[in-house]
Parts: sequence; C-alpha cells; structure tokens
Amino acid sequence: MARLHQQPICVASALLVPLLTLATPGWLTLSGVAPSWSILWLLPWSLVDGPVSGTIAAACLGLVLDGLGGSGLTQLPVLMLLGWWWGRLGRRGRPIERSLNLGLLAWIGTMLLGLSFWLQWRVLSGLDAPLFQHWAWRQCLLQALITALLAPMLASWQLLIWRRRAPA
Amino acid sequence: MGSSQWPMGTRLRSWRRLWPWLALIAALAAVRWSKGAAFSDAYALLSRPFWPGSAQREWLQSSGNLELQARLQLLQQDNDRLRGLLDLDRNSEKDKRVSAAVISRRTEGWWQQLELGQGSAAGIAPGDAVMGPGGLLGRVQSVTPATSRVRLLTAPGSQVGVWVARTQQHGLLVGLGTSHPQLRFLDKDVKARPGDLVSTSPASTLLPPNLPVAVIQSINGRAVPAPDALVQLVASPEAIDWVQVQTR
Repeated sequence: MARLHQQPICVASALLVPLLTLATPGWLTLSGVAPSWSILWLLPWSLVDGPVSGTIAAACLGLVLDGLGGSGLTQLPVLMLLGWWWGRLGRRGRPIERSLNLGLLAWIGTMLLGLSFWLQWRVLSGLDAPLFQHWAWRQCLLQALITALLAPMLASWQLLIWRRRAPA
Repeated sequence: MGSSQWPMGTRLRSWRRLWPWLALIAALAAVRWSKGAAFSDAYALLSRPFWPGSAQREWLQSSGNLELQARLQLLQQDNDRLRGLLDLDRNSEKDKRVSAAVISRRTEGWWQQLELGQGSAAGIAPGDAVMGPGGLLGRVQSVTPATSRVRLLTAPGSQVGVWVARTQQHGLLVGLGTSHPQLRFLDKDVKARPGDLVSTSPASTLLPPNLPVAVIQSINGRAVPAPDALVQLVASPEAIDWVQVQTR
C-alpha cells in the first residue's frame, strides 16, 4: 500500500488545519484558548509517515498558518523540528499508541511552539519588555493543556486510520 | 565511448518525481506571501451558510445612537476649540460605513484578529477603522476580495494614538494580549482619572477623529517615564457578530 503522502485523501486532510484554525470552535477551547490544530495533525502524520515526510508536511503547514497569522511571528522552524523528531520516533522502536505518550508528545510540541512565539515576541517587542508577560504564559500553558487533552482522542484515531492505510 | 553515470532516463524520472513537490512548495509559498488569501476566501465561501443573522446587525445600528451622542459631545468641544483655526481637510460625513459579518474570531493568543465577510470588493482597504457597538475595535490589516482581516486593539503590539478629551491629553493605546489595553500617556503630569472617556484624536488622519475607544479603569502614576493606565474597551470583540468598517 502507498505511503501516506502518496494518498490524496490523506494529504487533503491537512486542509482541515487552516480551516479549523479559522473556525476556532468555541466549545473546543479552554478559557477562550483554542488547541494547536497543527500539532494535532502533524503528530500522527509524522509518526506514521517518517521524518522526511513529517518535515515537509510541517513546512507546508507552517507556510499556510504563518500566512493566516499576521504579526510577523512564525511557527515554521518549530513545526519542522517537531515533524522530524516525531518522524524519527515513529521509525524507531515500538509504535507509539498509548494515550499518555500521545498526550505528552502533543504537550511538549505545543509548549515548544508557545515558547518559540514568546521568544520571537520578546525579540520583536524589545528585550527590555517584561520577562513574565502573564498573557503569554497563560496562552502557552492553556494551549498545551487543551492540545494534550485532545491528542489521545484525535491523534490515536488518526493513527488508527492512517496505519491501516499505510502499514509499516 | 563510456556511458554516463546518471543516464538521462534516470534524471528525467527523478525530475518527474520531484516537480509536483516543488510546485506544492511554490503554491504554499504563494499562500504565505498572499497572507492566506485563498484560504480566507475559501473559508468565507464554506462558512457562508453559518454566518450570523441580521438581528445583531440591526442592534448594532440602533446602538450606534449611543456612540453618536458621545461623538456629538466630543465634536462640539472640538469645534469650539478649533473653529476658525484648523482645517483638517477631512469631513467624517463623507466617510462610508460598510457592515460586515464576523466570520472568524481569534480574541485570545498570539494573533488577536477577526476575519470579516466583506473585502476589497465592498471598498474596504488596509488601515480602515473597524467599529463595534459603541466604539473602535481595531484596524483592517489585510484584505482579499471577499474577506478582511482585522487586528484588534487588544492584540499584542497593536498601537493606536488616542486622546483623553476631558484633560485634552494625548496617549498611545498599546495592546497587551489581554482584554485591557494599556494607555501610555505622553505627558508626565496626567490629570486623567478613572472613568474618563478615551477617544481617537480629533486631529487624527489615520483613524476617524473623535471615535470613542475606551474608558480608563485605573491609573498607575508611578510608571516611568510617564504614567500609564489600564482601560476597558467600549466595544468588546468577544461577543460581536457584526461590525462596521469605516472606509476612506
């Protein structure tokens, strides 16, 4: 059976990421903070399809999502790093399936994404800006939490479907 | 004659395998460069059946009376002060307002912005002021033919020049990422107090003059180099389904 990136329906599922980012369903937020849909899609994709495909998919997603955001912040480097890392994890050892593992990987990924935003924001706003901007940390922690909570449900379901379509 | 290490057929095959990916990367770079214009328009098209109804639009228009009263008072004071002295070559009556539905809302996080269901086809351009019931919400950041992206006043890094009418002092309204932006005064001697109305400057050329923006909640007189204040926006972006865009 063909790899994931060779199956148009699987590639097309990436379109849901920008659409969900724009829609921001209110019932899937934590104190108004939405999950990171890019992490929730990229994690199972990279685990199933490997590091190269994960990195390329992350670059594609990053370009689109950077376009939809508008304040000069980018998520491209961190997404590519995560795509590579998760791809390598998926290729080595036993397949990652447990809810706790998926939740933890999603939490780490979202925290890295939030920290990269925070660092970029500090550079953009000048290094004399307050170190502990509470809104930034609140955003970072809440997004990591809601993403980690959703990952075992959504990512394991995606893993199940995609592993059937593209067995190792 | 020896054969090449990379026969032409192999090169051609590898190029054939590679070009769809290069085309995809180029297309995505175009999306990035156009600020997601195609996605915004596609989203507007897909979500059109779910756009908010017209009830709030009518409520928004009727609530404009409150805003007009505040503006009238400010304009009267302004007129007394400036009459015969200043020609701003700007008549707010000439400005046109376009009603637009909010089709996407991100009021928390790194990008605090709204997507509106009207764009350049309706005359909206980057920099136009966007108003909710009672006051200013933000400015248009980018437009596509069918949608506009609005950067909210609460967005981190957003900066708008404002004016406290009662004390006639200028200030800078800076978004902090929270629902309460910070008003940074330009003078050290601040006579403003909690409850004062903050509006756009009467001499503003970037925004419509004398537009209500916020109410001062608390003042920090010890801030350096000049005092600052936390303000509550008159128009709250969290619950607005329709806005008005003042085109120029």
